[in-house]
Amino acid sequence: MDKAFQGEHLLPGHLGQFFVILSFGGALLSTLSYYFATTNKDLADNSWQRLGRWGFIINALSIVGVGVCLFYILYNHYFEYHYAWSYTSVNLPVYYLVSGFWNGQEGGFLLWTFWQGVLGMILIWKAKSWEKPVMTVMAFSQLWLASMLLGIEIFGAKIGSSPFLLLRKAMADAPIFSQPNYLSFIKDGQGMNPLLQNYWMVIHPPTLFLGLASVVVPFSYAVAGLWQRKYKEWVVPAIPYALFACMILGTGVVMGSLWAYESLNFGGFWAWDPVENASIFPWLILVGGLHVLIVYKNSGHSYFTAVFLVLASFILVLYQSFLARSGILGDTSVHSFVDNGLFWHLVAFVLVFLGLALYLIISRYKEMPISKKDEETYSREFWMFVGAIFLGLSCLHLILVTSIPVWNRTFGTKLAPPIDLVEHYNIIQASFAMVITVLTGFTQFLKYKKTDTARFFISTLVYLLVAVLITVPVDYFSGLYKLHFVFQLVMLGSVYSLLVNGKVLIDALKGKFKLAGSAVAHIGFGLMLAGAIIAAGTRGLVSVNESGTVAIAGFDKSSQGNKISGDSHENMMIYKNEPVKMGPYMVTYVGDSTSEPDHFYKIDYRRFDDKGKMIESFELKPKVQLNDKMGMTSSPDTKHYLTHDLYTHVTALPQPKEAPTADAQAAAAHGDANDDKNYDPPIPHEIAIGDTIRFREGYMVLRALKKETAIQNIPMTDSDVAIGAKIDIVSNNKNYSAEPVYMIRGKSVFDFSRTVDDVGLKLRLTRIIPEKNKVEITVYQQPENKKPWVVMRALDFPFINLLWSGTLIMIFGFLLSIFRRNKEIKPV
Amino acid sequence: MKKSSIFGLVVIAIAIAVIVVVYAGASTYGSFKDAKQTESMLRVVGQLDKQKELYYDAAKDANYFSFYVKDKKGEECKVVFRGTEPQDFQKSEQIVLTGQMVGDEFHASEILMKCPSKYTKDKIDVTDAKAKSATI
Repeated sequence: MDKAFQGEHLLPGHLGQFFVILSFGGALLSTLSYYFATTNKDLADNSWQRLGRWGFIINALSIVGVGVCLFYILYNHYFEYHYAWSYTSVNLPVYYLVSGFWNGQEGGFLLWTFWQGVLGMILIWKAKSWEKPVMTVMAFSQLWLASMLLGIEIFGAKIGSSPFLLLRKAMADAPIFSQPNYLSFIKDGQGMNPLLQNYWMVIHPPTLFLGLASVVVPFSYAVAGLWQRKYKEWVVPAIPYALFACMILGTGVVMGSLWAYESLNFGGFWAWDPVENASIFPWLILVGGLHVLIVYKNSGHSYFTAVFLVLASFILVLYQSFLARSGILGDTSVHSFVDNGLFWHLVAFVLVFLGLALYLIISRYKEMPISKKDEETYSREFWMFVGAIFLGLSCLHLILVTSIPVWNRTFGTKLAPPIDLVEHYNIIQASFAMVITVLTGFTQFLKYKKTDTARFFISTLVYLLVAVLITVPVDYFSGLYKLHFVFQLVMLGSVYSLLVNGKVLIDALKGKFKLAGSAVAHIGFGLMLAGAIIAAGTRGLVSVNESGTVAIAGFDKSSQGNKISGDSHENMMIYKNEPVKMGPYMVTYVGDSTSEPDHFYKIDYRRFDDKGKMIESFELKPKVQLNDKMGMTSSPDTKHYLTHDLYTHVTALPQPKEAPTADAQAAAAHGDANDDKNYDPPIPHEIAIGDTIRFREGYMVLRALKKETAIQNIPMTDSDVAIGAKIDIVSNNKNYSAEPVYMIRGKSVFDFSRTVDDVGLKLRLTRIIPEKNKVEITVYQQPENKKPWVVMRALDFPFINLLWSGTLIMIFGFLLSIFRRNKEIKPV
Repeated sequence: MKKSSIFGLVVIAIAIAVIVVVYAGASTYGSFKDAKQTESMLRVVGQLDKQKELYYDAAKDANYFSFYVKDKKGEECKVVFRGTEPQDFQKSEQIVLTGQMVGDEFHASEILMKCPSKYTKDKIDVTDAKAKSATI
């Protein structure tokens, strides 16, 4: 403020910062008021509750205000703000400005606190007698989220990070900011990472954050129940919210993997990246928690597990936020944010809620309605409990490995993640998945309390037998049998679960309709796993080198059979217009087109039957952005079939300065002879009309010689003689034509070469030999590596649609269950 | 013994097994010297030597990319990656390589890069590249 800067728009920032502080104040007021409302013994006195509501409403409205201010700044490209400068640029379309909104950490917190505000409003409206204690927890959580956006320093410690930080404050040391007119030098922002310029990035973060935000609701109910010693009553109203959180969080995570699959180039939908793993911690735990909540409701067993898992799910939401935002994963993750000074603030956020949860568990443990009786072995509650524990173990494993950098930092060790990390995760997680799918199957045959064992064993075994009979051929035809046996067991488990839950669904449709929700969700889950296993496990490489193109002989030999490089020949180079056989396809790189900032490479795929008849033809256009700041960013293009997907992306391109087409065009335009060095040594051919010249990729025929009357923009006089040679060229079954010209002006002789870029040819009419009735055509051919090319990778994902459709079915199952469980809440 | 206690023991056993598997499976960060002394794969942290040649010739082999890396102890080694040059590779300020020595060359199956953003010193983006393999 000491210096006046020109052209800054400070009002929206000041207003935004005001709203940030107001939202913090509102949350504080709401937390305190709801706390006193809860502890107030005088039930007739509603004043604290009213104040709490007002505080919360102020908080929620301020968050909307913050959002409006931030969007206003982004929309108007006020690059004096660090946020706008960092994540957007002038030419970014408006719908990507929306994703720029949550590109940074601050935007993520904003989205989170916004959804939590919406959920709080719903609770104020719906929670009735639970409102006071539940909203105390909600408001307390809002208070912490609001503090994340404060962006103030107290005694040197940074409290939160504001989205309204000015660029000159963010980089106070940069000399440019000593000039009052610095803004006139900053014309554009850094722009958005091209990978994020994708429609999934417009809808995936809001969904994921709604999922994460909604985990706080069952947590708040659990805390409220323990705090108010209403140990049993909180369970029923918490179940629909837990279902909702599982549904939305699951959707958000799968959307993320769909985004990765559609627009990232690691060639898959799940990479076991630490940030990805962290996003499913709360999901696994809450799904487990949900099941034991239902167990408790129906049988009175598993109370402690239910409380523990529900509390843990929200702690894990906070922990995943810490992992993703604190920068601690810097060495192991691709997606994590960099620490922007909030490390200890994020740690405190986790520890405060962890402390709260532990305090309640310990202080209330003795009063908890933990059943003294053992569950029956042949009871649904026991095996649901076992399933929940296995979900917890699966999550424990993910946490252990993902948190390796945390252990290193805490204990000063120097561990690195396992070498073959993907294999490690796949095998161990598949083992848990197998147990869980089997449990989602046979538990359906059990009843609460006690079941007739004989019938149970008969139906379990009959279904298991049918599942084996189905799995064996599936295994064989999909090629799954080549993998580790544990994946085949998961497949068996999934099929078994599908069969049993299919039966439950059929029964449900006949009458017991309220059971439909869980059956549908389990069917979806089974399909998801089956789809994921087949698609990832039997992923096929299409871009294999079958034509025997040159490879570095020595290297390949030495590394053949070597574990590292054995399977990794996935990239293939193809020259423009030269068809290459890849798997079942003839693949041709036919050209490229540009729509800034995207460059599309047209890859033509054709498939022929045995008789050589074309049965299929399509074009894929994988995209590349070349950008000084981000380098080369490549996004795939995918051909979707019902039963498989063909996925293609560009992995390397010629260096721009060597691009032969550009050179050749420039040379042709200027008639530059230096251009000849781009070609192999020229070969002159003496030919007559109708003769053929062969070259590496085809042949050409001299059709006619004709007298030219005009050559480009050179004025012709009557004394000039110009002769053009009409030449037809056939290369790779395509026809081209060219007409080099020979010209005599006075005593000088000129010739005008013609280039055919697609074939990599330059033709000159260099001599006319009237006595032989022939002409001399000089053929310049580009060496292979000067011709335009791309290196690409093509993969085939079989049955990946099972994964996506399974997810949709699971979401639908959750939805059915929400309706059912919602009806069970009796108004209190 | 109560059934729940038996189950509890089973769960504890599995949990311990998981912890053991994770820590037995965990690798360490080492140097090229360590890599030369061992047969197994390990992770090496180092810096790209930008003075030396980065070799990639798609016409010869589209799956061969080589470069030189200096590890934290200052030892330099040629590294071979069976793939294409990863995005932002030349801007990296630190590289984590996973792989093993084959003769005098370090064959990397995975490259993880830390790249400084061009304008802000305080910001670091991390990108990852793996020599992709077709196994699950």
